[in-house]
Amino acid sequence: MRLGFPVKILGQGGLKSHDSRRWQNDPHLSVSLAYLRDIFLYLGRQDIHMYRMSADLAPYISHPDLPQFHGQIEDCRRELLQLGAMARELDLRLSFHLPLVSVLNATDEGIALQSARQASAHAHILDGMDLGPDAVVVGHVGGIYGDRQDALARFVQRYQGLAPQVRRRLVLENDDRRFSVSDILWIHERTGIPLVFDQLHFQNHNREGLSTAEALAICLRTWPEGVRPKIHLSSPRTAIRIVQRKGGSEPLLRAPHPHQHADFIDPFQFAAFIKDVEGAELPEFDVMLEAKAKDLAVLHLREQMGRLIPAIRVE
Amino acid sequence: MQETPESRVARRSRVLVAVMNNRRDFQIAREQAWYRIPVKNAPSRVGADFLAFYQTKAFGDERWSVNYYAPVRRYLLAYRRALLPEEENHPRADDLYYRIEIGPLIRLPRPIPSLRLRRITFIPTTLERLLQAQEINDLWCGSWEEEQLWRAFKDSELRGERRYPLREDDPEYAVDFAFFCKNGKVALCLESEPDVENVRMVCERAEVPDYDLAAQGWVPLRLRRQDIKSSVQACVARILEAMDKHGGLMATTTARAQVE
Repeated sequence: MRLGFPVKILGQGGLKSHDSRRWQNDPHLSVSLAYLRDIFLYLGRQDIHMYRMSADLAPYISHPDLPQFHGQIEDCRRELLQLGAMARELDLRLSFHLPLVSVLNATDEGIALQSARQASAHAHILDGMDLGPDAVVVGHVGGIYGDRQDALARFVQRYQGLAPQVRRRLVLENDDRRFSVSDILWIHERTGIPLVFDQLHFQNHNREGLSTAEALAICLRTWPEGVRPKIHLSSPRTAIRIVQRKGGSEPLLRAPHPHQHADFIDPFQFAAFIKDVEGAELPEFDVMLEAKAKDLAVLHLREQMGRLIPAIRVE
Repeated sequence: MQETPESRVARRSRVLVAVMNNRRDFQIAREQAWYRIPVKNAPSRVGADFLAFYQTKAFGDERWSVNYYAPVRRYLLAYRRALLPEEENHPRADDLYYRIEIGPLIRLPRPIPSLRLRRITFIPTTLERLLQAQEINDLWCGSWEEEQLWRAFKDSELRGERRYPLREDDPEYAVDFAFFCKNGKVALCLESEPDVENVRMVCERAEVPDYDLAAQGWVPLRLRRQDIKSSVQACVARILEAMDKHGGLMATTTARAQVE
């Protein structure tokens, strides 16, 4: 089982995830790829084999008003191939997550089109790196817009309109307020799209009252033969939040929301989760840890797991 | 002091200080706007928003200092023979290089000299540091403790070298601070600890063992993080004591004369 984390590196200072310059300063995918190469070296040194790349890796790649940025993936053919080879050498599983503004089932055609372009750019980058089918682009269903069934059907319709190379990479995640595991299963049954089980989202939004093992099994079995599924796992934040206010007012203290990510992963929760699903004869899967401490959370959990369940090999 | 948008950009912008050791490469950087790094020997950090150039002895009045920097436009992979077609028989003609395309060279408000004329490979730093540095050792980004010590050394006019490499082929194998005394060399190593104390693995710097230091003629001195947190001045006093035992700090001019 691989453990991964998204985007930011906290264990070493100065490792940027992408070229974050504004369009006026001509950011470029190749600069992002140079940063990514430095990150890959770090992951190799830390023996981490799963990583979610920044959604902004190719800056302004699908921005409708900035066409000068649209050809960057083609411009970086050689650099993408080299980085893909490096990822394979490091046995590094890579992915993207579509940004929250990407809403494939939007009622607004413009937003939907823009979302499809974003998904296409991500898929194109993974193809450019010549990565295997376990390198995926994770997305959500989107909004309900007053009618859940219409919203689901619209997602199916839009998904089917995507180019085959985008559909090959796109996978769908249950969310914490709108679309549950059963909803995404409905979409899978009509499209074949693989499903990513998000454990914290599931705990927050489980209308059907499924058990964790049932919901996990549903999602894992949607992945094609030979492709190892991945899931998302995080612990809910339990610490109080200090909200700074403008104008020198005293900061507010707020209780945490159950859908917020904690800094680290609760090792007992993780161990219990693994034990729960152990006997269920499920396919092997990788785990993307969504914790605010990013790579530190992976390293810390790995260390804790060595103590709590040494029989489970996490890498 | 409140952060302005410009200072925020400077703090976040990454700079790679690279070596410029001949006039032809400088001309290429200025006129053709690119610089090259061999992929095989590239440092662990290549990605940057800006490149800056440490000029070696080939540069007359500008030697042994950083005088210019330039924004990075893009990185390309290319074989040496494509980059320098006039050298197609070069032994590394078939090696792959990063061709880093840059914007126009910008002169720094003041040069950043190496006071000891030391050999530099690559220094990853920030634009903020590049614009404020008074000498090359100000460029390194260290831990909170390392920065505290460095500031205290400067206040006490203790001229040391940061991240001083012990092996030519491995710039990462270095002591944190090196002090060159009249009768010896003192190597100060900070105990290697990560920022988050109980996540041990993120500590990546190679430990330099005492026997290796001794074999190369260094007098090792080690400080724990806690020592620095408790009293920076007490740490400075320990280093002064070690240096006194070896005749005190050698004047920079003497060191320069030795190198030149």
